[in-house]
Amino acid sequence: MTLVSPQAAVIDQVIKEFPSGNDVIRVLHGISLGIDYGKMTMLVGPSGCGKTTVLSILSGTLSATFGTVTVMNERLDRLKNDDLVRFRRRKIGFIFQQYNLIPTLNVAENAAIPLISDGVAWEDALAQSGRMLDHLGLGPHKAKFPRQLSGGQQQRVAIARALSHNPALVVCDEPTAALDAASGQAVMALLDEAADDPNRAVLVVTHDDRIFSFADRIIRMEDGRVIDDGLTQSLPQKV
Amino acid sequence: MVSLGTQSGQRSYLGMIGIALKMLMGDPVKYFGLVFGIGFSTLLMSQQASIFVGLLTWGANPVLDVRQAQIWVMDPRVKQPDQGQPISDQSLYRVRSVDGVAWAVPYARSAATVKTMQGNIAAVTLVGVDNQSMVGLPEENLTNSMAAIRGRNAAILDGNTTHLIWADGRDPIGEAVEINDNRIVVTGLTSSLTNFSGLPTLYMKYSDAIAITPPERNKLSFVLVEVKPGIEPEALAKRITEVTGLKALTRQQFAAAGTQFIIENTGIPISFGAAIGLGILVAVVITALTLAMFVAENLKNFGALKAIGVTNRQILVMVLSQALLVGFIGYGIGIGGTAAFLYFGQADPSLRGFKALGEIVGGSALLVMVIVLGSAYVSVRKVLKLDPAIVFRG
Repeated sequence: MTLVSPQAAVIDQVIKEFPSGNDVIRVLHGISLGIDYGKMTMLVGPSGCGKTTVLSILSGTLSATFGTVTVMNERLDRLKNDDLVRFRRRKIGFIFQQYNLIPTLNVAENAAIPLISDGVAWEDALAQSGRMLDHLGLGPHKAKFPRQLSGGQQQRVAIARALSHNPALVVCDEPTAALDAASGQAVMALLDEAADDPNRAVLVVTHDDRIFSFADRIIRMEDGRVIDDGLTQSLPQKV
Repeated sequence: MVSLGTQSGQRSYLGMIGIALKMLMGDPVKYFGLVFGIGFSTLLMSQQASIFVGLLTWGANPVLDVRQAQIWVMDPRVKQPDQGQPISDQSLYRVRSVDGVAWAVPYARSAATVKTMQGNIAAVTLVGVDNQSMVGLPEENLTNSMAAIRGRNAAILDGNTTHLIWADGRDPIGEAVEINDNRIVVTGLTSSLTNFSGLPTLYMKYSDAIAITPPERNKLSFVLVEVKPGIEPEALAKRITEVTGLKALTRQQFAAAGTQFIIENTGIPISFGAAIGLGILVAVVITALTLAMFVAENLKNFGALKAIGVTNRQILVMVLSQALLVGFIGYGIGIGGTAAFLYFGQADPSLRGFKALGEIVGGSALLVMVIVLGSAYVSVRKVLKLDPAIVFRG
């Protein structure tokens, strides 16, 4: 099956193998799926099922062994490494489980990293990231350092960093895994708002069932295969 | 990838350098550890190298003190200026007869012991300079004129070493001392370059100097020669050797021989070489380990930066800029410490004349930069090879 636009990202018949001694371990067995614009897609499944590998391949941080990967009509598997890095910097926003904020940079500087690394002048980058932080309710915390913030606030800074350059695809790896329920709900509400943008797709890898209600679509994986790909009618009403 | 050539490309590198420096300085333990580690090793390298070169120069200083003559003539077995092996008085006349010699004067240099009127005794280097021309007497900081030693048994003393004879700090002019039962009066002071023996130097007329030293057949240590205009000193030295059978060296050659003698016959190169080597080792160990720790502790953050879209080249520039910053500051502290040591050390006669030569300042800078950049490159290789997807793994 070949999937095409209007999806933001498509992987088709993707196989991923990792070397293990003299052998190889196949973790993805010919997966095909697409990520829609204007929706929050959740990739769920037990640990080791391959969902993070799918996220890595879709975001261009890992290459597929076989198959094609298309993001915003760009074949990632055909891009040279430098072009792939530039593509990630400009088109994709990343949110990590452990936030991965630079502890010695303040909140505004952390959120501005994608802009600064793309050549936006320091002051302009801070102004742009500052507007995003204001929008996410972190305005009073711009000059603070990550250690001065709660986990939920740190993840909101990470969201600001992921959205500061207005990417078309946002990939989130277990964004609520390190948060309490209330903070997790707050973070997901912000991601849900980001996913409402018709020019943006949000992909969330999670096995936190407390947040499934935010999904527009849930793809279930097991043993490197998609076992269910459907909308969320069977799940609790989206909040 | 961002190109360095475009304005936004340059901005991106400047911006990432700014982030790198904030990352570094936000970790004060490692930042100050690196700065002071490099500073200490720079101090060790440059200070020890300066002292080493200064000590080597001491071997040449008796020659460099005599600025008026271009050639030294001596017994063929003599290897350095303090190794007196007298030659016959006839040698002076034979040297004068060599074509190309403008003038030639006697110069006696020997060890002696002075006894002060207060009962102190001190070893000195006794120098006899030509009675008429006074060639061989340093004119620097001369108190009273050269004529001060024209009187019988009058002497000019190196004023920098007065304390080695009179520890009470008295003005030595007018003081009498005894050498081999001869009464000598200090009538003037001069300033000699420090010599390797560290002994005070006492200058007298040649005739007086040889008269008060113990009897032996020959007392002439060296013949000092000036070259006629238009003649190469090296060529004349060679000719003097051919004609007289004596060893003749230019001033530069004999000064170098004095330095070489110290290198070959003392443990100084080994001990100072070890200290300088230790400085290099300290720099390598501290810099390499601290930078490696810094990079290892930030590996996940670097992985996140790579995932976000920071290029390997930007990361390389980041880590190299961190290394350069600590290198510059550490080097500045270290070389500043050496400069301060040498500046304030001038007050101590045993450190007089020691300098941080341009070669030492530049060489230390080069070594520090090679060490910090090399260490940074070794540390950053792990990041450059890092799979950005690592950030998604627990």
